[in-house]
Amino acid sequence: MNETESLAFVQISAQALGIPLDAASAARVAAHLQRTAVMAKLLESATLSPVDEPAEIFCPKPH
Amino acid sequence: MNPLKYFVPSRIDMDTQEHTTEQLAQGIAVGDFSAHEVTTAAIARIEATNLQVNAFTTPCFERALQEAQVIDQRRARGEVLPPLAGVPYAVKNLFDIEGVVTLAGSTINQSNLPATSDAFLVKQMHDAGAVLLGGLNMDEYAYGFTTENTHYGPSHNPHDLTRIAGGSSGGSGAAVAARQVSLALGSDTNGSIRVPASLCGVWGLKPTFGRLSRRGSYPFVHSIDHLGPFADSLTGLALAYDALQNVDPLDPACHAKRVEPVSKALEQGLQGLRVGVLDGYFHDNATSPARQAVHDAAHALGLTTQVTWPDASLARAAAFIVTASEGGQLHMDHLRTRAQDMEPLSVDRFMAGALQPAAWYVQAQRFRRRYREKVNALFEHWDVLLAPATPVTATPIGTEWLDLNGQRLPSRAAMGLLTQPISFAGCPVLVAPMWPEGAAAMPIGVQLISAPWREEAAFRVAHILARSGAAYINKVRF
Repeated sequence: MNETESLAFVQISAQALGIPLDAASAARVAAHLQRTAVMAKLLESATLSPVDEPAEIFCPKPH
Repeated sequence: MNPLKYFVPSRIDMDTQEHTTEQLAQGIAVGDFSAHEVTTAAIARIEATNLQVNAFTTPCFERALQEAQVIDQRRARGEVLPPLAGVPYAVKNLFDIEGVVTLAGSTINQSNLPATSDAFLVKQMHDAGAVLLGGLNMDEYAYGFTTENTHYGPSHNPHDLTRIAGGSSGGSGAAVAARQVSLALGSDTNGSIRVPASLCGVWGLKPTFGRLSRRGSYPFVHSIDHLGPFADSLTGLALAYDALQNVDPLDPACHAKRVEPVSKALEQGLQGLRVGVLDGYFHDNATSPARQAVHDAAHALGLTTQVTWPDASLARAAAFIVTASEGGQLHMDHLRTRAQDMEPLSVDRFMAGALQPAAWYVQAQRFRRRYREKVNALFEHWDVLLAPATPVTATPIGTEWLDLNGQRLPSRAAMGLLTQPISFAGCPVLVAPMWPEGAAAMPIGVQLISAPWREEAAFRVAHILARSGAAYINKVRF
């Protein structure tokens, strides 16, 4: 995600979630999201198979 | 004007820097001093130093005096006192205190109703006889490593008031370091106990994920939040940790099946423990003082073996993503309607987290399970592993960027580089306060990391460090 794509993503996502954002805030949020995108890209390098489930908290009933 | 001005005892002859947790408990138990004397000394210390330190936001002195009175009455009746009877403590202001609004570092929460009961861990401390002095400063909603809280002011490092106390439990670290209280409670999602313990030079413990009940505390990231104690001595840390333990079926993330005390295990020594030093990521992301602290600890323990932690960079990335996503979602309503009232230093990060693609979050949670397996496999060969708690010593308040071995990193996020991979695996970590040469008389902590549910192993190693004089608390100058 480059700077322009990140800003566009932030603006459309905020609108979808009903979060008001002025231009200055959107630019700052986009900068944060770009940094996280680098980490997300790194994390995509983790080898996972289809049966690798998410870490859990949910339990239907303590036993 | 001192906003905490409340009570000045007519005669103060107790220097709070002269007595550790266990010395106070023992002294009260045998009648060397009363709980009232100890409590009034703590109140006087808080009133004399809080303008400098800014640790306390919510004093509860009246309650403290009442609790102390009960302890003194019990002793007068000849009762055997519980282990922390009369010991002064305080809690990060995300813990519920009956009759007090739980701020969680925000001004938004000021309009909430006061808590109707104490948090689970506050009740545990009460049952152990400890005396609650109040609530402590923190980063708003726990999203930060510096406690530069814009609403309530920054907490100042008691060893250099121009520097940060660390965060997000910065008030907890500062209050213990300044010897305003002997013990404090904090929370740790990505390092929020370990970072202030490191920067303030006090003992700290992030237990195994799921060990201590979180009921009655304001959450940040449900799938990573931990609670734990700070202390002015290792024995005090063990006493507090033992007091905090209990099973709690009403907290869905409390996995503890039994109480497993550590106080009696402290002196068992290193026999049978396999202890190593983490290299790679934990060396590369540390500056010279942090490396020196680990070197000093390894020397005191007679360690030479280097060990590589699996997937540390990936784990840090995954922890970052899970934190942003869950934290952002938790505050969605605030972001929609009260963003202008939120902490300016973190509101944009909350916002970015709320907008993150779901695919990033799910990848991070799927990675976490695989990561856990790798970490647990590592601990089949090791019992305790050492690493620095923070890359650097405390930075000046307001620092924006950190130069870390040639990398220019955002200071407020980088302070958690060395703690995030560990908490993401849920491992218990005890932070030992070290004072390496070349750190300009500032502290830096060493993480003693053990396998899940093996807190006692970390305590045994810490005991060697304390006994050898390698790890200790330093007095402050005021």
